Amino acid sequence: MSVPTKKAASKPARKLPLKERYALLTRDLDWEPGYVDREQLFPHTRYEGIKIHDWDGWQDPFRLTVDAYYKYQVEKDKRLYAVLDGFAQSQGHLSLSDASYLNAIKLFIQGVTPLEYAAHRHFAYLARHLEGPAPRFAALCQSVDELRHCQTQIHTISNYNKYYGGFHSWSKMHDRVWYLSVPKSLFDDAMTAGPFEFLISISFSFEYLLTNLLFVPFMSGASFNGDMPTMSFGFSAQSDESRHMTLGLEAIKFLLEQDEGNVPIIQDWIDKWFWRAYRMSALVAGMMDYMLPKPVMSWREAFELYFEEQMLGGLFPDLEYYGIQPPRHVNDAIAEKDHLSHQVYKILHNFSFAAAFTTKTPDEAHMAWLAEQYPDSFDQVYRPVWEKHRKIEADGGRVFFQGLPQLCQVCQVPMAFTEPGNSAQISFRRSTFRDETFHTCSDGCQWIFEREPEKYVQAWLPVHQIYRGNCGGPTVPDVLAWYGIQEGDNGEYTGSPDQLAWAAWHSDGDDKAV
Amino acid sequence: MTVKALYDYEFPSADRAEVFGDDQLVYVHWRGNPLFCSAACFRVPKNMPFAEFVTSMLHGWAASDPDFDPASVTDWRLFDEQLSGGQDKSLADLGIGHKALLSFAA
Ligand SMILES: [Fe+2]
Ligand SMILES: [Fe+2]
Ligand SMILES: [Zn+2]
Repeated sequence: MSVPTKKAASKPARKLPLKERYALLTRDLDWEPGYVDREQLFPHTRYEGIKIHDWDGWQDPFRLTVDAYYKYQVEKDKRLYAVLDGFAQSQGHLSLSDASYLNAIKLFIQGVTPLEYAAHRHFAYLARHLEGPAPRFAALCQSVDELRHCQTQIHTISNYNKYYGGFHSWSKMHDRVWYLSVPKSLFDDAMTAGPFEFLISISFSFEYLLTNLLFVPFMSGASFNGDMPTMSFGFSAQSDESRHMTLGLEAIKFLLEQDEGNVPIIQDWIDKWFWRAYRMSALVAGMMDYMLPKPVMSWREAFELYFEEQMLGGLFPDLEYYGIQPPRHVNDAIAEKDHLSHQVYKILHNFSFAAAFTTKTPDEAHMAWLAEQYPDSFDQVYRPVWEKHRKIEADGGRVFFQGLPQLCQVCQVPMAFTEPGNSAQISFRRSTFRDETFHTCSDGCQWIFEREPEKYVQAWLPVHQIYRGNCGGPTVPDVLAWYGIQEGDNGEYTGSPDQLAWAAWHSDGDDKAV
Repeated sequence: MTVKALYDYEFPSADRAEVFGDDQLVYVHWRGNPLFCSAACFRVPKNMPFAEFVTSMLHGWAASDPDFDPASVTDWRLFDEQLSGGQDKSLADLGIGHKALLSFAA
């Protein structure tokens, strides 16, 4: 069989104007189904109660085509990988601020990188299931972005795995370890919701509302502490993230404009997902205030600037036009901004014997900084506790929590948060469902639980799972082995393999070997 | 409100009492001790005497604080109520059920 030859050298293709080219390569590829009806083709876009009257009302501000998209991403990858090579070849890790800085990056690769992969999977699902070609294409681009973020983060951080503990089994850890169930369960919650709730949870609440509190602090921490590779990764993801933020804002405005009946549904999701994402940000708060040898800004300052000023002061007045109010439990978040990071780092400090990072009691200089940042709470409430730790450590001890903590059924953080306005009283909330008791850490988590108890009773709570015998065995070494945590990944920073190696590499002795 | 789904949404609770057989989960909070970030969770036989629960479970955990003095443990509460009844009674007899929250001062 012969292949018909092309007609020789016809005239060169006309270069289409961008707008027309975009239309032909995206929307024009869409079709009306002929032999099934729309409901069969798109079975997931009705059951959440959201009504869409005109999918073409979805604006796509980027007008990106597949070829342009890949060309641009290849350029960014080239620049990033050049930085990674240079850093590795010049032993750049030795010029970090301190080896203890890497605890933040351990938290990042264990807690955040797997979320990039989960986002990749779920945006691929949206790229199949949303009905309009414009949001489908935006979701497709984001799906590819998120896979690229996952891969580039692995490559960026893998260099540290050659020299430091805690970087080796992050994927397994994400599925198993107690503090990582906080981000994992949040994403599981979002991925098991419908496509519209997912857009509000991840695109809007996670990537728009709270990105400056969830993602950006790691990148700024990197730039302050000499971590060129992570900082460069941040730059390389920046243009993607601005596209994702735009998608989040576009999604919420589109849904609100389509039908008035959508407004209360969206409001509920904002109320839920603000609190879910905010509770997860508690881990970032602890990181910002306690894990960075050179801190960037305090949690409190970041919260005031990025959330209170920019979101509550800027975004929500705009959304009011659609009938959307600020998130339901936002005042509880504001009330605890002086306390959140201290309470969370206390959890990590109590339990780092079972973590794939290390912790340490803040030294005098660090406490002075904390006191300056938290004039209303640090000296009054938290300094005395750290001073007790220092005294115990001076006597050769180290306080670890000899047992397992009570967890919140919704956010899965140990129940360490205090009542708004009373930092001496742990906040316990209790609900009963089908004759069983459930504990939550706050009005926000309790509200979320009671809205959909059938969902949250299924939570995989790491503490209860250990007691059920599902985590490798009954003893701490059994569980740590099952977690994939190796000797020296965990515990106290002072005297840890990372700290000792760092000290040896930076000593003036002759054995300055790597 | 119930979960919106395309099918009957009906799943058992992960940590319901029957999963633990003759045991149950109990939480213990040391009121006013900020050295501990949160309450602790224990798996214990329902018919364990309370006094034994205190010595065999609680003491080891509370000793994470080197200042802990077992003799000073006092003022037990079950949720928000004073715990009443003798320490020789079992957890079940004292009304301490699955996932109950106990607290004490010391
Ligand atoms: Fe991403
Ligand atoms: Fe993103
Ligand atoms: Zn919670």
